[in-house]
Amino acid sequence: MKKLLSRIVIRLPLILWAIAVIYPILWMFIGAFKSNAEIYANPWGLPHVFNFQNFSQAWNEYNIDTSVFNSLIVTVVGALLTLIMAIPTAYALERIVFKGNRFLFTLYISAMMIPTVLGWIPLFFLLMQLNLLDNIFGLSIVYAVSQLPFSIFVLTSFMGTIPKALEESAAMDGLSPYGVLWKIITPLSMTGIITVTIMNAIQFWNEYFMALIFLQSEENYTLALAIDYISNEAEYTNAWGTLFASLAIAIIPVIVLYAIFQRRISKGMTEGAIKG
Amino acid sequence: MVQSKKQKYLFLAFCLVPTMIMFSIFTLYPLFNGLYYSLFSWSGSSSAAEFTGLSNYVKLFNDSIIPRTIFHDYFLVVTKVFGIMILATFFAVALTQLRIKEAPFYRIVFFFPNIMSVVVIGILWSFIYNPSLGLINSGLELVGLDSWTRPWLGSEDWALPSLVLPSVWAGIGLFMLMLMGGISNVSKSYYEAAEIDGATEWQQFWKVTLPLIWPQIKISILYIVITTLNGSFIIVQVMTGGGPNNSTHVMGSYLYQQAFQQYNFGYGATIGVMILILSLITVLIMQFFMRREKVEY
Repeated sequence: MKKLLSRIVIRLPLILWAIAVIYPILWMFIGAFKSNAEIYANPWGLPHVFNFQNFSQAWNEYNIDTSVFNSLIVTVVGALLTLIMAIPTAYALERIVFKGNRFLFTLYISAMMIPTVLGWIPLFFLLMQLNLLDNIFGLSIVYAVSQLPFSIFVLTSFMGTIPKALEESAAMDGLSPYGVLWKIITPLSMTGIITVTIMNAIQFWNEYFMALIFLQSEENYTLALAIDYISNEAEYTNAWGTLFASLAIAIIPVIVLYAIFQRRISKGMTEGAIKG
Repeated sequence: MVQSKKQKYLFLAFCLVPTMIMFSIFTLYPLFNGLYYSLFSWSGSSSAAEFTGLSNYVKLFNDSIIPRTIFHDYFLVVTKVFGIMILATFFAVALTQLRIKEAPFYRIVFFFPNIMSVVVIGILWSFIYNPSLGLINSGLELVGLDSWTRPWLGSEDWALPSLVLPSVWAGIGLFMLMLMGGISNVSKSYYEAAEIDGATEWQQFWKVTLPLIWPQIKISILYIVITTLNGSFIIVQVMTGGGPNNSTHVMGSYLYQQAFQQYNFGYGATIGVMILILSLITVLIMQFFMRREKVEY
């Protein structure tokens, strides 16, 4: 009896925290279907009718469609660029003995600890000089480089588990080192590659501050900037329903990814520290 | 493997050089340039750049907002460390040691906020705190505590503490998982031995679990400190913009305001240098104090 009671007492905080996590998110989704009047009159309850007007308003009048497209480009290009840079570097650092190997590895890893905000001021002018300011491809490059340390860190640990004998026998059979990297190592570290790519993609999809600094015109806004913009507008126009709808649009892809890759994401998150 | 030295170095260069060039241009060069910028009075256009030596640093020491931003940063660091670590440790122990059937459900739910965008979290919580339509005030009214309602983010006294809850909310899952990883590595035999010796669950937690997951706890605390000092300005920017009346400005949001809203780029860089130095000092001090002899049984 005492045991049963203590089990309930232990469960109580778990249940309460689960509610504290789920309810606000659910509340946001429900709010997306409410009219403004209902949001004020009935903040806790369900809407009388579920209407999609808020979504269509966000999509058409607040140009969420453009920013979803921009976010998609930044995410895909950024994630690809990160891989192109990180895979060969991770391989060299993990498998090739050379002078300075340790130093380079430490340099990349310590970049995960350093506050990057100091670098954003010169980066702003650098992008301006390179004509990459207010340009979603410029932002993709900055994103890709910012996730390099994390990606290299995770990929080296994955590549470390591939047996050396495989590479050696492939080299005996006449495969060039480039071939080994492309045909042996890359396919065998696919688990790691997929893990970092999901992590990076979520990071790029969600990123807000660099986009705020490096993008200026509305047609280049990513989703994070667009909802921030709607949020500021809503202070004056009370377009709360529209804002809820755009938050929902921003979060649905992440929910889908999380539902599919839940284990990989939590593993990847704990293995390498994410900045932010 | 027959391979000439030249071929090896060519391949090495192929692997390392392009990445290193990109990393140097977009990470290293801006960081060092940031240090350099802090010596200039610069409003952006190159003609107006004027070398002013350490005068930005003199300004920094005389700026009455700076000590407040530093205090706010460390307020968030301390409250987040305690809030996150106490809850995350409790949840991690509960979900690993207590044979709760629905544990996977809690693990998935608690981690979910960690993959949400800070801007979404910030806006969502601004709603929750909204004085007229938010959950907190309407919840307080619902249970008859009308006198407790207040404009949370609009109040100079309450705005900063109000930022702690969303930060803990968004951060717990990650650290819970890190600690769960640590606990799952603890050999069962320690608990069996403790049980034979008649230790209660409570004693087992203090004498077995906690010492053995100390490395994970140490890493988690360090990580919370670093990410808070380096990144708390994002939630500040989204939820309060540093206001009301500078009561929530942290170092990073003040840098953003100075550099990108008021175009004092040189002074912004100086604040950045201060953030860098304070972060490094904090991490060094913490590592010194958190050294602890390895527990061996």
